[in-house]
Amino acid sequence: MIASSWLLVAFPALGALVLLVGGKRTNSWGHLLGCATVAASFVYALALFASESLSQAVDTTLWSWIPVEALQVDFGLRIDPLSMTFVLLITGVGALIHVYSIGYMSDDRDRRRFFAYLNLFVASMLILVLGNSFVMLYLGWEGVGLASYLLIGWYTDRPAAATAAKKAFLMNRVGDVGLAIAIFLMFKHIGSTSYEAVFAGIGDVSPGVVTAVALLLLLGACGKSGQFPLQAWLPDAMEGPTPVSALIHAATMVTAGVYLIARGAPIYNLTEDGRLVVALVGAFTLLLGSIIGCAYDDIKKVLAYSTVSQIGYMMLAVGLGPFGYALAIAHLLTHGFFKAGLFLGAGSVMHAMNDEVDMRKFGGLAKKLPITAVTFGLGYLAIIGFPFLSGFFTKDAIIEAAFGQEGWRGWVLGGSALLAAGITGFYMTRLMLLTFFGKERWRETTSADGREFHPHESPPTMTAPMIVLSIGSVAAGGLLIGGDTLAEFLSPSVGALQESHHGVLPHALIPWLTVLVSGLGVLGAWALFGRRTEGSTYTAVERPERVAWPVRAARKDLYGNALNEALVATPGMWLTRSAVFLDNRGVDGAVNGLAAAFGGGSGRLRRMQTGFVRSYALSMLGGSFLIVGALLLVRFG
Amino acid sequence: MNPFLAQQMQTVEAPGIDWGAILPMVIVFGAACVGVLIEAFVPKHQRWSGQVVLTLGSIAAAGIALGAYVSGRPEHGVVTMGTTLSIDTPALFLWGTLLALSVAAVLMIADRSVEPGGSFVAQAGIAPGTVQDRAQVQSTGMQTEVFPLALFALGGMMAFTAANDLLTMFIALEVLSLPLYLMCGLARRRRLLSQEAAVKYFLLGAFASAFFLYGLALLYGYAGSVKLADIATAAAGTDRSDTLLFAGLGLLMVGLLFKGSVGPFHTWTPDVYQGAPTPVTAFMAACTKVAAFGGILRVLTVAFEATSWEWRGVMWAVAIISMAIGAVLGLTQTDLKRMIAYSSIAHAGFLLIGTMALTDEGLSGTLFYLLAYGFTTLAAFGVISLVRDSTGEATHLSAWAGLAKRSPLLAGVFTFLLLALAGIPLTSGFVGKFVVFSAALSDGMAPLVVIALVFSAVAAFFYLRVVVLMYFSEPASDGPTVSVPGAFTTASIALGVIVTLLLGLLPTFALDWAGAGGFALGG
Amino acid sequence: MTPTYYLLLSALLFSIGAVGVLVRRNAIVVFMCIELMLNAVNLSLVTFARINADLGGQVMAFFVMVVAAAEVVVGLAIIMAIFRTRRSASIDDTNLLKY
Repeated sequence: MIASSWLLVAFPALGALVLLVGGKRTNSWGHLLGCATVAASFVYALALFASESLSQAVDTTLWSWIPVEALQVDFGLRIDPLSMTFVLLITGVGALIHVYSIGYMSDDRDRRRFFAYLNLFVASMLILVLGNSFVMLYLGWEGVGLASYLLIGWYTDRPAAATAAKKAFLMNRVGDVGLAIAIFLMFKHIGSTSYEAVFAGIGDVSPGVVTAVALLLLLGACGKSGQFPLQAWLPDAMEGPTPVSALIHAATMVTAGVYLIARGAPIYNLTEDGRLVVALVGAFTLLLGSIIGCAYDDIKKVLAYSTVSQIGYMMLAVGLGPFGYALAIAHLLTHGFFKAGLFLGAGSVMHAMNDEVDMRKFGGLAKKLPITAVTFGLGYLAIIGFPFLSGFFTKDAIIEAAFGQEGWRGWVLGGSALLAAGITGFYMTRLMLLTFFGKERWRETTSADGREFHPHESPPTMTAPMIVLSIGSVAAGGLLIGGDTLAEFLSPSVGALQESHHGVLPHALIPWLTVLVSGLGVLGAWALFGRRTEGSTYTAVERPERVAWPVRAARKDLYGNALNEALVATPGMWLTRSAVFLDNRGVDGAVNGLAAAFGGGSGRLRRMQTGFVRSYALSMLGGSFLIVGALLLVRFG
Repeated sequence: MNPFLAQQMQTVEAPGIDWGAILPMVIVFGAACVGVLIEAFVPKHQRWSGQVVLTLGSIAAAGIALGAYVSGRPEHGVVTMGTTLSIDTPALFLWGTLLALSVAAVLMIADRSVEPGGSFVAQAGIAPGTVQDRAQVQSTGMQTEVFPLALFALGGMMAFTAANDLLTMFIALEVLSLPLYLMCGLARRRRLLSQEAAVKYFLLGAFASAFFLYGLALLYGYAGSVKLADIATAAAGTDRSDTLLFAGLGLLMVGLLFKGSVGPFHTWTPDVYQGAPTPVTAFMAACTKVAAFGGILRVLTVAFEATSWEWRGVMWAVAIISMAIGAVLGLTQTDLKRMIAYSSIAHAGFLLIGTMALTDEGLSGTLFYLLAYGFTTLAAFGVISLVRDSTGEATHLSAWAGLAKRSPLLAGVFTFLLLALAGIPLTSGFVGKFVVFSAALSDGMAPLVVIALVFSAVAAFFYLRVVVLMYFSEPASDGPTVSVPGAFTTASIALGVIVTLLLGLLPTFALDWAGAGGFALGG
Repeated sequence: MTPTYYLLLSALLFSIGAVGVLVRRNAIVVFMCIELMLNAVNLSLVTFARINADLGGQVMAFFVMVVAAAEVVVGLAIIMAIFRTRRSASIDDTNLLKY
């Protein structure tokens, strides 16, 4: 079965091809095909998972892709526990979200094209996780980037969507450059880009290069996964349709950075500095994301920053090396379930509320949208780490491992992870209260286009996926972490999970501490938003301008954009301007002159084609004189 | 005793013939003769179907015979029919290429959906501009001699690429040329242009043949034989004057370069490509180029490898001239068929670079390039034949403005083919240029490769000009219509596009094939 | 008598033919000049056959004649067709295709 694993990629790729080439002819059944291809991949993945032992990596080479002298890249796939885990997540959650999109996009005239892009995304993502070399990974990496770009800018009539798509594209490029240079370095020092050869040869490379490769891969991961300092595109990406936010910008694509580092475990195992940077980036981002998450009133933006924060947890975990790879993947999986569920819930709310995203206009929706409220509530409980739901197991394990580090690292990493758990409890409770409980504020306002709100429950194609995902949110954590199931399963790919025994805090204490801190966050939110349902300033439609500094800072994304602007954009603009000046005056002058010379020469020379046979014969005779004369000259001259 | 009489005393033994090896060629020639009989004996209304079945069937049969022979062929090829034909790996590869290309070309020739009755005149004898001529434009008849003529030309090309001595090469050259001269003059519409193309092609072609023949005579005088291997032996050491050798080589090359439309012997190309019926242009552009460069490869490699130091500089100059003429003059063309003609001149320059390398990489690279270029240019002409207005094909560039809005599929296909001609990655054109240039680089021709890259950039400009015109211009109000092609033309365009794409994505297969062996030197 | 003179004569005839192609306007005459070039080559071939004491050159001359005859058939047909169209055999009249 492994030999035909290419089918996994082929199904959605074929779907995308048929839908894009078929055009309008496929309008009536395009969405069904889109769902069927992903479902087929999922079924195939399940069958593969059930029938093979997967105790070691199996590479299959399909064809020789880039055979150029020393650079030999095969179009090959690698089936191992790590890739299979991702394949199941991508196709499983992907299939659910495809089904959900049938309902969500039912009013869109271009629904077929939407499914084509989604299929394209799934195919690219599968190439990303299944490829057996860094170049294959890069192929998928760019493919998902393209699909993400197309889907963020889906609503072409919204300028904000176009800007967001462009922003995502540009910031991803920064990361991609890092990944590309890392691949170049591998090829230069190891002579290959396949996982097998790179991991076998990385030990013989000088430590400086290993660290450089590790940091460059991290840069790539930061770009794709919305980690500091490249986090700013991810919240803006919420301009895309909500299923896209759920699939691409929550469950799968944005976790590619975590996959990259977990896949590169043999490289990161060799460089403690590299791992530390990864962990610090993760710790910083998870705090940053959770703080900003408190400040937004846009339901999708809050969830987006929550994603940034949760991926921060995963980065922190992979940064712990052998102590954390498996934990990161476990959190990635549970996060895939509950965050996708939350996004779909948010989409369902928007569907009910004329695409309104401002939570201040919601309130009391639990009565109108019972299924959404319950499934969303389960996802909420999972993310804040309510005991014995998914998030409790996986997030708690990461916090535990972070405190398991020695010395200042333990305090810094563990402390920030713990603190962010509390803040997560705060902002998620706020979101929950403002949306589903309290006064029905929507009765008093209208949506941006002046329509009144008539909330209603979504169709079954939308609620069914939400129910399935909420079951996953509840149960996945216990299944994965209980008895270290996942850690053992993944050990052939990322090595066995190690447990630290000399951390800064006792193990037994940490779960209680986490629950306590989260509970405090929840209580805080309830105190602020739950009790004061009447006349609260926080639920007023107008935003108060005079607020404390932390709130102002958070509303400005903790100055993330300003930082990018000052450090990258401004010098970049200056560089561009000077380059443009040089280009206009110097290079263009030369090029334009050359082009004019060619064009003018062409205009004159073509007059030599007079149309007279005899002049053609003359040019032939002249040519033969030249050839014979030159030959004789070379020989005898 | 008189030496002539002395020779007559010897008994002449009939040469052995390896029928298996030459079967594909025999099938093609045999079918051509049967085709002539069909013209003579079959009633008029049945000729078209009979000829199409016969022509396609014989090409397919030849292909099967070739396939059967290739699987069990001797490793170093065989020399058969005395020493006149050398059936070796390059010859077999080129035969395969020619047969595949001519299937597509014959499909275009046979197509009657784009224009009722096909692109060919109902009766070649009718003078243009007369009442009968206006009537024949409307009629659905067609001069079905085109099919046997195409088969004769194809057989000549096959013989040309396998010819092991200069005389056979000359005969094959004429056998491939004469039918083409006639086919050029058979267009249904714009008969004046078509006839003019035929006259020009014929006179200049005959002129070039005379040069080839004089070169042959001088080399015969030099080596005492016209066998390529004997010329090579003689060049390695003989007391004859080298004047004969180099003058002979020069004149011989004139004839060959003319057929390959290499500058400065290219002058016929734009006029003939424009005037000839588009299916014939496609056939010429693809197959003649394959045959001509197959011949050049064989002559330079087998007969003149020892003197490569002397002729290489001259060939450098010829290649540069050809690339320059093709790329620069293509910039200001306003007729698409003419533009592709200049593109073919530029490509001839690129091909010559690979031909000069004389290494295994050069050989396989050039063979691959021929295969790739043939299919791309064939499909391009196929697309051109679909854009029509009331007077026939609308080949003027201005008629193509904004075509993407009216017919996105056609514009997309044509864009892809133009990008392939320009050598953009993921197309066969890129791989072809890549292998040819890298062969030239490793054979120490770096400056030439740099020049070639410059000219391919210049040439890319005029391909992209068409793309820009199709996508970003407003369509003309009285613009041409895009005909819905019938099965034949669709099949031939699809074949060209698929091969162009496949060779761009998975070139290894064809490259391995092209590099499977060198020329047979026996005899 | 040395065969070299025949070679020179042959070269001279070839050149006359080539120049004739360039300077004559009548298509038939141009075509005849090309035939002259072919026959000049025949003379060379026969001469080289004599020099090399090899029968091949003479046989080749026959081949060339056959080919030339075939060329005449095709050529005259084409020239005939265009003559009927234009009522003129001047090749300078046929220059619609240019630039």
